[in-house]
Amino acid sequence: MSVQPPRTKQPSALDHELRLFIYRHFLREGHAPTVAGMAQGVSRPLRQVRQALARLCQTHAFVLEEKGELWRAAPFSAVATAFTAEVGKRRWWGNCIWDALGILAALKRDGRILAACACCNTDMTLQVQHSRLQEKTGVIHFAVPARHWYDDIVFT
Amino acid sequence: MLLFRSEQHVDRWCQQWNRPRGGTLSVQQGWKLAQLWYGDRFDPDWRGKTVPEAQAVFREIGLTGDFWRLG
Repeated sequence: MSVQPPRTKQPSALDHELRLFIYRHFLREGHAPTVAGMAQGVSRPLRQVRQALARLCQTHAFVLEEKGELWRAAPFSAVATAFTAEVGKRRWWGNCIWDALGILAALKRDGRILAACACCNTDMTLQVQHSRLQEKTGVIHFAVPARHWYDDIVFT
Repeated sequence: MLLFRSEQHVDRWCQQWNRPRGGTLSVQQGWKLAQLWYGDRFDPDWRGKTVPEAQAVFREIGLTGDFWRLG
């Protein structure tokens, strides 16, 4: 999830190019590119790429970890999580159940979400077939009210 | 956002972790939310939703009330 806050600057051509490079890398490789890899991929100096990443992070869709590498490019997680989206033999992580479902939604592909009940750890597989979620039971819980989601996005 | 087998498991989890109960939606609502939220994410000209746009998405799948208010 990500809600657009008021932006101080319009996205540049590099922002667009970098955003698409990151998503295509996730789709192709199954994991996040490094910042150095992004610079190489878009043929720009590291400094410009870091500035573009900072602008992308204003959208909340992109989040960096403390060393400045990618932590999240919604709906993809750059780190291992308990929410796996699977399409055929390909797998990606989402940061939460919403994002894991979002990977299938963004890909517009049928697939499965491999997860577990947060309470009892029982396996819960959610299957999407013909663009429809097959499971009728199961509950998603949001611990944080919507207006506070971005106060601490990692906790949310 | 975590996944649970039932509302009872949400209650049990909240008790275990001493957390107040938040908002819940069914997995069917969650799938609809994912489609509305992320369906255009890989479009070249994607832009983030404004607060009113995001609020309209919540409303469309029945997420109303103070917990789901963004602004």
